[in-house]
Amino acid sequence: MRIIGPDEIVFGVDDLDACRAFLTDYGLDETAWTEGKGGTFSALDATCVSVWKRDDADLPAALPSGNTLRQTVYGVESANVIDEIEAELSTDREVTRHPDGSITCEDDCGFALKFQVTKRIKTDLEPERVNSPGAEPARLENQLGTTQDAACKPRTLSHIVYFSPDIKKHEAFYMERLKFVLTDRFTNVGPFLRPQACRDHHTMFLLDTPPHMAGLEHIAFHMQGPTELMLAGSRMIQKGWESFWGPGRHVFGSNWFWYFNCPLMTHFEFDADMDLHDDDWEPRFVEAGPQTAQVFLFENTEKWFPGAPGD
Amino acid sequence: MPLAIDDRPPVTVTRALCRVEDLRDGHSRGFDPLGEGRDTMFIVRQGDRLVAWRNNCPHYDNARMAWKKDEFLNADRDRIVCGAHGALFEIDSGLCVQGPCLGDRLIPVALDIRDGEVFLAAPYKHGMRPRPGRPHN
Repeated sequence: MRIIGPDEIVFGVDDLDACRAFLTDYGLDETAWTEGKGGTFSALDATCVSVWKRDDADLPAALPSGNTLRQTVYGVESANVIDEIEAELSTDREVTRHPDGSITCEDDCGFALKFQVTKRIKTDLEPERVNSPGAEPARLENQLGTTQDAACKPRTLSHIVYFSPDIKKHEAFYMERLKFVLTDRFTNVGPFLRPQACRDHHTMFLLDTPPHMAGLEHIAFHMQGPTELMLAGSRMIQKGWESFWGPGRHVFGSNWFWYFNCPLMTHFEFDADMDLHDDDWEPRFVEAGPQTAQVFLFENTEKWFPGAPGD
Repeated sequence: MPLAIDDRPPVTVTRALCRVEDLRDGHSRGFDPLGEGRDTMFIVRQGDRLVAWRNNCPHYDNARMAWKKDEFLNADRDRIVCGAHGALFEIDSGLCVQGPCLGDRLIPVALDIRDGEVFLAAPYKHGMRPRPGRPHN
């Protein structure tokens, strides 16, 4: 089942203007905005986040937990895949077909889903180039590695993490019905999953939690590389946003991370340099904890220089 | 591997955190009494009344709560909100009434108001985890 990953995450929020300020500072482009109603903020490949008023009648119903997550929109490779998902899911739930060809329904834990032919734009962007002695240089003479004013724009929606109110049921839905693949598992927490048309280590991670927590734990966008991740996160701190965890580098997925609190009442993560996998990969089973969750962890500080004249 | 036990003793802070008039009525503000680099507590002012809590969501140990510097309240300013996952707390009691830590409580910080200045009423424990290899700094 050729699902690529999340194209869009839809939120119902209380403070639209604060969310607008956060998403803009995070580096997403405002691609739609209506005063008092909300709008859409997009990464370079057109994957996006939408924020609307919590009581907006056009939104799918909120989860009983009151979480701000209102819908996860999956992009798939072609219209045939939509037909395939519709045939699979309409056997035991209501699936609504829309004029644009997309379908909507709920997963087995009541999370609202939408499936559409992906709206991602194909991008051809510069990678972060790192020179490693002993290997061919990735940056040649006079090509600079850093600039203070790099744009640092999120490139694509990387992954989402759910607080899962019934993890066995939730996991079975994504693995058995939508054919997501297990890459690794935190034995005391939950599975890292990727859909079949995705090579990233995970586009979904599930956390086993009580029902009153159901919702979105965090959302992450991929950055160019570790340098832009550090720069983007440092700018967020300068603007007064609240670092939650990071910067650091995860073990599972190998991705660099930096998580921020935000007025959408979830975490927004910058991530970079995630592992790719295929069906030859054998999942690892490890207990989650400080040692297994990250290779290292840092805390941002003020910039400094040893003994600048006049200091 | 278990986390290192943080047995650093509470620190007596003699200087004032701020003046009452520095606090905006109906708003919150974060403080870093031990100069740890992050706000480890916050005060909410409601009229003449000040309520103070540790900046530590009971959902995850050491979880920072502000959704932005000094912003610890929801949009209606009638609840404390955690910017990590939207948990809502009663301002007066610190009780979580919605969200991941439902039924848990924030940790109170006792204040002492003297001549319009706001002081900590008791020695204050560190709010940030110790640096690696320096558990007693």
